[in-house]
Amino acid sequence: MELFIQQLVSGISIGAIYSLLAVGYALVYSVYNFTNWAFDGFMAFGAFMAFTGITSLFMPFWLAALFSIILTVILSVGTEKLAYSPLRARKAPRLFMMISAMGVNLATVNIINLIYGGVFRKFPIDTLQPIFIKGVSIGRMDLMAGGISFGVLALLWVFLYRTKWGLGIRASSIDIMTASLMGINNNAVAIVVFAVTGVLSSVAGVFYGIKYAVFPMMGIVTIKAMIASIVGGLGSLPAAILGSMILGILETMVSGYISSTYRDLFSFLFLIIILLFFPNGLMGKSSGEKL
Amino acid sequence: MTEKMPMLDIQDLSVYYGGICALNQVSLHVNEGEIVSVIGANGAGKSTLMKTIVAVKSFTSGKIMFQGQPLKKEAHDVIKDGITLSPEGRRIFSPLSVRENLMAGAYTRNDRHEIEATMEEVFTLFPRLKERINQRGGTLSGGEQQMLAVGRALMSKPKMLMLDEPSLGLAPIVINLMFETIVRLNKEMGLTILLVEQNASIALSVCQRAYVLKTGTINMEGTGQELLHDKRVMESYLGIAK
Ligand SMILES: Nc1ncnc2c1ncn2[C@@H]1O[C@H](COP(=O)(O)OP(=O)(O)OP(=O)(O)O)[C@@H](O)[C@H]1O
Ligand SMILES: [Mg+2]
Repeated sequence: MELFIQQLVSGISIGAIYSLLAVGYALVYSVYNFTNWAFDGFMAFGAFMAFTGITSLFMPFWLAALFSIILTVILSVGTEKLAYSPLRARKAPRLFMMISAMGVNLATVNIINLIYGGVFRKFPIDTLQPIFIKGVSIGRMDLMAGGISFGVLALLWVFLYRTKWGLGIRASSIDIMTASLMGINNNAVAIVVFAVTGVLSSVAGVFYGIKYAVFPMMGIVTIKAMIASIVGGLGSLPAAILGSMILGILETMVSGYISSTYRDLFSFLFLIIILLFFPNGLMGKSSGEKL
Repeated sequence: MTEKMPMLDIQDLSVYYGGICALNQVSLHVNEGEIVSVIGANGAGKSTLMKTIVAVKSFTSGKIMFQGQPLKKEAHDVIKDGITLSPEGRRIFSPLSVRENLMAGAYTRNDRHEIEATMEEVFTLFPRLKERINQRGGTLSGGEQQMLAVGRALMSKPKMLMLDEPSLGLAPIVINLMFETIVRLNKEMGLTILLVEQNASIALSVCQRAYVLKTGTINMEGTGQELLHDKRVMESYLGIAK
C-alpha cells in the first residue's frame, strides 16, 4: 500500500510534466496542423537556461526559472517569426512546416551540445527531504513539480476558455479563415500560441531536469508526451492531459512493481492495447472540435 | 460633397488566383444607406469580390475606397473600419456556443457593456438565438445557423454589412424570413448592405441597385426593378423564358 501511494504521487508528478509537453504539442497542432518538433529542443533549452542561471549567474531558483521562461518564450516566438510564419505566408504544405521544425530542433540541441557538452548533469538544487505521512515517503520535488505544473495548466485553461484572447485562439483553431473575418489578427494569435508553448516547454524542461538530469538530448522525452496525446485523442487539450496522466502513472507503477528496465516496454504495450480498442484515442473525436 | 461620395467605391478591380483571372476590371459602388445586390452564376467571382473587399484576398490592380480612404491591407483593420462579411456557407464555429460565436464577432470591440447591448439587439432581431444561447453552433438548424452568421457579423457594429449568399441551402420560407430581416436592418437601422446571390429574384426584389457579374466582369447594372424586368436577366438568371 505504501509503495502504491508513493508510486502514485510520483506518477502524477511525472504525468503532470508530460501534460505540459503534450498540451504544448496539442495547442500548436490544433491551430496550425503540424507537429512542432522544435518543442523537444525548447525543453532542453529551458532546462539549460535555468541551469546556467543558477550555476553561472548565481540566481536563486525562482529567478533562474523566470529567466528560463523568458528566454524560451523568445526562442519559441523567434522560431515562429523566422521559420514558420514565412512558410505559412507562402502557403507551404504542413510537411514542410514539420521539416522546418525538425531543423530548428536539431540546431537547438546541437548548439546546446557544443556549448555544454553531452554529459548528464544534476540540476543544481538542494534535494529536499521527503515528507513522511503515515510511513509513506512523498518527495517534495514531486509535490512541487506536480503542483506547479497543474497550476500552469489551470492558468492556461482560464486563458483559453475565459478570456477574449483565448476565444480568438479557439476560433482560429476551428477555422482560421473565418477567424480573420471576425477581425482576429492571425499573426497576433501565432505570437501568443508560441509564447504559451515557450512557457510550457521551459517549465517542463526545468522539472524534468530536476527529476532526472539535464542533458542536451533530454527533449527526446517529448516523444512520450506526443504518444500520450495520441492515446488521449489528438489535438484536444483535456485528452492530452488524460493520456499523459495515464502514461505517467503507468510508468511509475511498472517500475515500482515490475522492473524499471521494462518500464517503457510495458507502458507502451499497454498504450498500444488502448489504441486497439479506441483507435481515435480515449477522448478522440472525429473532427471539428480541437481545443 | 461628402453626401455625394459613395461609401464604397471600387474602380477597375482585377483579382487573380495564380494565373487565373477571377475578377476583371470590376467597377461598382455602394452609397450610404443602400442595399446593393450583385447577382451571378456559379464561379462568376462573387465570393472573390467579397473576400477582396474584406482584404482576405489581395488584388492585382484597381482601387477600393471606403469612406473616402483607400481600403486597409489587413482584414482586422478593414473590420475595425466598419466592413464585415458574413461568409458563404455560414462558417459557424460549430464547437463554440451561440454566445461564443457572437462574442467572436465582437472581437474588434472592447467595451463590454456596449457589446452586451449589441447582443441584445441581435436577440431582438433573432429571438431564436437567445433561446439557444448556450447550445453549440454546430447543433443549430441551417436557418438558425444563417441567423447566427448574420448576428455574428452584426456584433462588430459594421457600417457596411456584406452577405455572401445568405439564401444558400435554406428552405424558401426561411429565405423569405431572412430577407425580411435584411430589409429591416436597412430600413429601421439604416445599415448599408452589399449582398451577392445566385438567387436573383429575391436579391433583385430587396435591393435599390444591382449589378450582374458574369465570369469576372460586370455586364449589367441598374435598379433592382429594372433588372428584374430585363429580358436577358429573366432568361439567364430568373429562369423565365420568353
Ligand atoms: N482559392 C482559389 N484558387 C483558385 N481559383 C479559385 C479559388 N477560389 C476561386 N477560384 C476561381 O475563381 C473563380 C470565381 O470563384 P468565386 O468563388 O468567386 O465564384 P462565386 O461567384 O462565388 O461562385 P459560387 O456561386 O459557386 O459561390 C472561379 O472560377 C473559381 O474556380
Ligand atoms: Mg461564392
